[in-house]
Amino acid sequence: MAIWEDPFQKLSEDLKTTLRPQREWVAGRGLFLLLGHFLSGAGAGTWLFSIYYGLAAGLMLSLGVVALGGVAHLLFLGRFGRAWRIVRQPHKSWISRGLLSMALFLVCGTAYLLLERIGAVSGALGGVLLLLSLVGMAGILLYKGFVYAVSRAIPFWNTPLLPALYIAYGVRGGAAILLVAAALGVGGVELSSLEFIKLWVVVSSAVLVLIYLAGMSSSGVASRRSVSQLLGLRGSASLAFYLGVMLLGLVVPIGMGLFSHYGTVLPWVLGLVGVSSLIGDFYVKYCVARAGIYLPLSGEFPAR
Amino acid sequence: MRYVMVIDLKRCIGCYGCQIACKSENATPPGVFWARVLKQEAGKFPNVRRSSLPLLCMHCQDPACQQVCPTGATTKSDNGIVEVDSDECVGCRYCMMACPYGARYFNAKERSYFGQGLNEYEKVGYPNHPTGVVGKCDFCRHRLEKKLEPACVANCMARARYFGDVDDPNSEVSHLIREKRGQQLHPELGTDPSVYYLPA
Repeated sequence: MAIWEDPFQKLSEDLKTTLRPQREWVAGRGLFLLLGHFLSGAGAGTWLFSIYYGLAAGLMLSLGVVALGGVAHLLFLGRFGRAWRIVRQPHKSWISRGLLSMALFLVCGTAYLLLERIGAVSGALGGVLLLLSLVGMAGILLYKGFVYAVSRAIPFWNTPLLPALYIAYGVRGGAAILLVAAALGVGGVELSSLEFIKLWVVVSSAVLVLIYLAGMSSSGVASRRSVSQLLGLRGSASLAFYLGVMLLGLVVPIGMGLFSHYGTVLPWVLGLVGVSSLIGDFYVKYCVARAGIYLPLSGEFPAR
Repeated sequence: MRYVMVIDLKRCIGCYGCQIACKSENATPPGVFWARVLKQEAGKFPNVRRSSLPLLCMHCQDPACQQVCPTGATTKSDNGIVEVDSDECVGCRYCMMACPYGARYFNAKERSYFGQGLNEYEKVGYPNHPTGVVGKCDFCRHRLEKKLEPACVANCMARARYFGDVDDPNSEVSHLIREKRGQQLHPELGTDPSVYYLPA
């Protein structure tokens, strides 16, 4: 039975198992959370590249994508009418820091974009808004990995590599969105340069994925089970991992990136590469969440 | 003052009495188990051993759930009890990801045990468990206020559970922890749980 069909039944079964999987952040409305992580990360990455290339359309796109990510976050909450309360604990909770970063980014980014529209972006105010939007962007790229990494209950997440992985995937998501935008006719993107940067980010993320999985496979029993959920042919997330993360997220972008670097590739093909890469970005978030398994309790039976 | 619970695994017979007593006392909805019993089989036939591990919120002194809560809905009282304010909780479930003991439950939607609407008992009990937020064991705070023990302690037929103030060196729980080598689950995580287990 698929996990979204009867989460109650599944929970009852999970409670009896030694290696209990987490489901709240991946099944049912948990998919909204993953969508929120994916969109906000890719949107923040889009801002980075749009600032670098001076793309007004990219800036607008970035704000839209991050805002959509924010809405997805809200849809995940059990009581989204109380969402404002999340900002209360930035001194200790990464979710608070994430929401504040998102708010800072959206407010300052929108103001910066408005200033640009009226041609007043070169002044001191424009500089301050740009700086604050970049701080918000960095917070968005950073917080998701740390949200997972601080959980000592789930060893697969409890590693400093995860923030690095999420930053890399946020940045490459931004490049991918701009590739898709260029294919759809948004002007001003220097495709060859963007594709070259993207290739490097994708290769870096591939290396990070490999190091992450290698590290986790030689870790404790819960981490090893998590890795087997991804790599094992009968693992619960193996199809998503091999098709989504590996094929669409790494093999296609790297292959096409190399091909376009040494040959000539039409913009619409690069657009498809962008779509493929974005699907891979989503699935890496899905797989990390899906493979999360709690520390075993039954192995901890105190004995004399 | 710090309330702790001591569970003697040698006396526990794995009858699920604590689980049922908790359900009965707190009227927790389907899929929510503030107290539960985990069973494990070890060894190889004919030398097989079955053991039970009763679980509940560990009311940690350094609770991982409190550290990650973005709204401050999870708090720790002076008596060591970790509580969730359901009026403050937004249902982000971060605490569930952080808790190493699987002690927290998200009440997604109102659900009856018997499938045809709420019965009279559920109508009385379920308002204490609002939907869209996370809940957990509170050591039966309402019973403690009446100088009663938590339901799982009072109803344990094997008398495997003890409850008291560990800050009082003369209390029964202090003696048991000291003399019978009370152990915490996953002490390496540094959460300092308030539930101790006496080895089987």
